[in-house]
Formats: sequence, structure tokens, C-alpha cells
Amino acid sequence: MTIKLIGYSFSGPVLRVILCLKELGLPYELEPPASYQSLKDEDYIANKHPFGKMPVLFDGDFRITESRPICRYLVSKYQGKHNDTILIPNDVHKAGLVDQFISYELSYYDPPISKLFYQEKVAKRFLNEEPDPEIIKQAREELAKVLDVYEKLLEGKEYLNGEYSLADLAPCPSTYYICGIVTTHSDLWDSRPNVKNWWNRLYNRDGIKKSLEEAKSFWESSENI
Amino acid sequence: MTVKLIGFEVSPGVLSVMMTLHELGVPYQIENPASWQALKDEDYITNKHPFGKVPVLCDGDYKITETRAICRYLVSKYQGKNNKTILIPNDVHKAGLVDQYISYECSYYTPPVAKLVVEEVFHKTSNPELVETSQKEIDKVLDVYEKLLNGKEYLNGEFSLADLLHIPFTHFIFSATKHADWWNKKPNVKQWWDRISNRDCWKKCVEKIKF
Repeated sequence: MTIKLIGYSFSGPVLRVILCLKELGLPYELEPPASYQSLKDEDYIANKHPFGKMPVLFDGDFRITESRPICRYLVSKYQGKHNDTILIPNDVHKAGLVDQFISYELSYYDPPISKLFYQEKVAKRFLNEEPDPEIIKQAREELAKVLDVYEKLLEGKEYLNGEYSLADLAPCPSTYYICGIVTTHSDLWDSRPNVKNWWNRLYNRDGIKKSLEEAKSFWESSENI
Repeated sequence: MTVKLIGFEVSPGVLSVMMTLHELGVPYQIENPASWQALKDEDYITNKHPFGKVPVLCDGDYKITETRAICRYLVSKYQGKNNKTILIPNDVHKAGLVDQYISYECSYYTPPVAKLVVEEVFHKTSNPELVETSQKEIDKVLDVYEKLLNGKEYLNGEFSLADLLHIPFTHFIFSATKHADWWNKKPNVKQWWDRISNRDCWKKCVEKIKF
């Protein structure tokens, strides 16, 4: 039975799962919701996601929510089954460090990027709000400090844990949102050689580039959901 | 070689790791940094945590940071070795759901609870506006938890790491604020809290809390 993924392919967390499915060589069906508003419907809340979010993944009768747990589940169940790609190493110490880097992404990397993307793209498009220059300035400063840390973490390494892992895949959607879509702030990556090379390496992976560019067309059009 | 936990026994992240160590029967030593300010020193940033945070765990030469990553590592390495306590089930589907509930804790439960605890308990400031917005947000989250816990004693049926990670911040709400009634007025949530906060391992951690 095919895996079913519920969500919009241009949503960051949904993209994260799509990239993971592709890396593991897993076929899947994407089912977009009726609308963003439908995520708050009683039916969606009861049967899909109790907090009204996406993505939601169905693997046969098994339902799981939240992008990073979905990715970890897919790795646990399918890693090595369709190809040789290792997203989480089997060694308990290496796996622990991959998990640590995923936590850095969630706790420190993603928040200022989300703020920037919200101000630069989402606010006007969906909510008719003007971008707030003060928030943009603070988010940029926060992100600069985070990228300084990443610059050191990547010293002498091609990937966060040495070899490519889920810890590098996880930040791809949000990084692309800034470097590929809202390019005004991509200087933050370009001015840091290790971070710049790391992103170029990730962006040029087969599965990743194509999926990210498909997301771009939604954000560049003025279609509303 | 004993596991070394770096942090303060008042930090909810540190308390979560302590509880995990107790639950798994893993002995440990705790090392307090010189001060909260010391976490921003170049030495701490270079050698302990690149973002200047606690907890940090050293297991022999191995160093790992970030509360939930540390707890998952300890489970991977030590679960079943010193006792029979299961914090993450072996079955891949059950483990996936525990991970999902940990993500609910991280994304939806802890942010509004932590904001209130940090303000009222750690900074000791009274902020009625924050209380009002927190109550609305926490009430919505607890409504979801009330449903999630319907017919269940724990989030995933049996006690797991997901329940554990909710304990420290909630403890501070109950022991040091006047907002326990937000939890107590929801029967499933109330019973769940009574159950998890009465675990022996949590009581041992409470004795060690140092402000």
C-alpha cells in the first residue's frame, strides 16, 4: 500500500517529509487539503491532526504527524530497503549527534528564518499585513548569530555530522525559502564560506533541487489558497 | 565511567535528563557551571554548548547536547540494561507515535507554559496581560490533550519519554504559581498529571531542585 502524505508541497514542513521520502526512494501520493481553512475543520482535527497542522502521513492504517517524527519513522522503517542512503547512522553515538543537530535546526536555525519568511512573503500575501521592518531587522541579527555558530560547526566538515544525514536535510526547506525565494537575505549565507558551501552541496543533491524548485513556483505566483 | 550531566538543577531541560537517567537506572554526576553568565563564556561555547545552553551530557569521551536528543540517546544506549523501564517502545510504529507526542510537547505545550513559568517563577515578575494571553493559549492546548488522553492513562497508552518531558515545566506551574486550576479543571489532564508527577523517579528529582 502506498504512503499517503497530506499537505501542500510548498509548505516547509511538508517539503521536509517529501525530501525524506525521495532520499529513501519511497513512492508516495500527495493529497493537498481542500484549503488552509479546512485544517481547522472538526473532521480534520479529529481524523488528521489534533492541532490542525500539516503534514500528516498515512502508512497503511498507521497515521503519524509532525514533520521530524515522520522523517525519523520513515528512516526507522525504510532506511536501506530501497537504496543505500543513510539518513540516520546505526551507531548510537553518531545517531545521537544527528538528533542533536536536528534539535539545533528546530530550536535556533528555523525560528529567525520563519520570522523573516513570514514578514517578507506570508504577511502581505495571505493576511494583507505590511512587513514590519523592526521584526525583519531583529530576525536578521538573530539569524546572523546562528549562522556564525553553523560556520564553526561546519569547519573541516562537508556536513553537520561529517557525512550527509537527516540533520542536513531538515534545514533545506527553510534555507531555500530564504536563499532561493526571498533572496534579499541570502547574503547571510553567501558571506560565510563553510555555510555557503554546505548549502550549495545540499541544494545540488538530485532529489532536493527538483522538489525545492517546484515549491518556488507557488510562492512566485500570486495564487491564493 | 560515570555519566556527567552539566547544568543547574532548576532548569527544566536538566530536570528532564535527570528524570530519564533515574528512570533508566543510570548513575550520574551533576556538574554545575560557575553561573548562568558562564554559559556565554568562550570556553563554554567552544567546549560545551555552541549556543551557550544547558543541559550538556558527557558519557566518557562522548558529548551530546539538547534535552530531547540527550534523552533519546540515553534510551537508545541504556534502556533495558539496568532495569525493565521502557521509555521508547521497540516497535517502530509505537516509537513513531511517542516521537510525535514529544513533538507536540515541544511545539504546542511547552512554549506557552515555559513563557509563563520563566516570567512568574524564574524572573518573579507579575504580568497580568501575559497571564490572560497564556490562559487562552494553554486552555486551547489542554483541550486537545483532554481529547488525546480520552480512555488512556498516558499519551501513547503506556508511560513513555513523551509524558516525562512534560513534567518539569508543569511541576513549576503547580508548585510555584496559582494556575494549577487550568489543568485541574480538565479531568483526563488532571489524572494524567497526578499519575506522572507521582512517579518515584520524579519525586527523587524534586528533592534535588535547587533555585
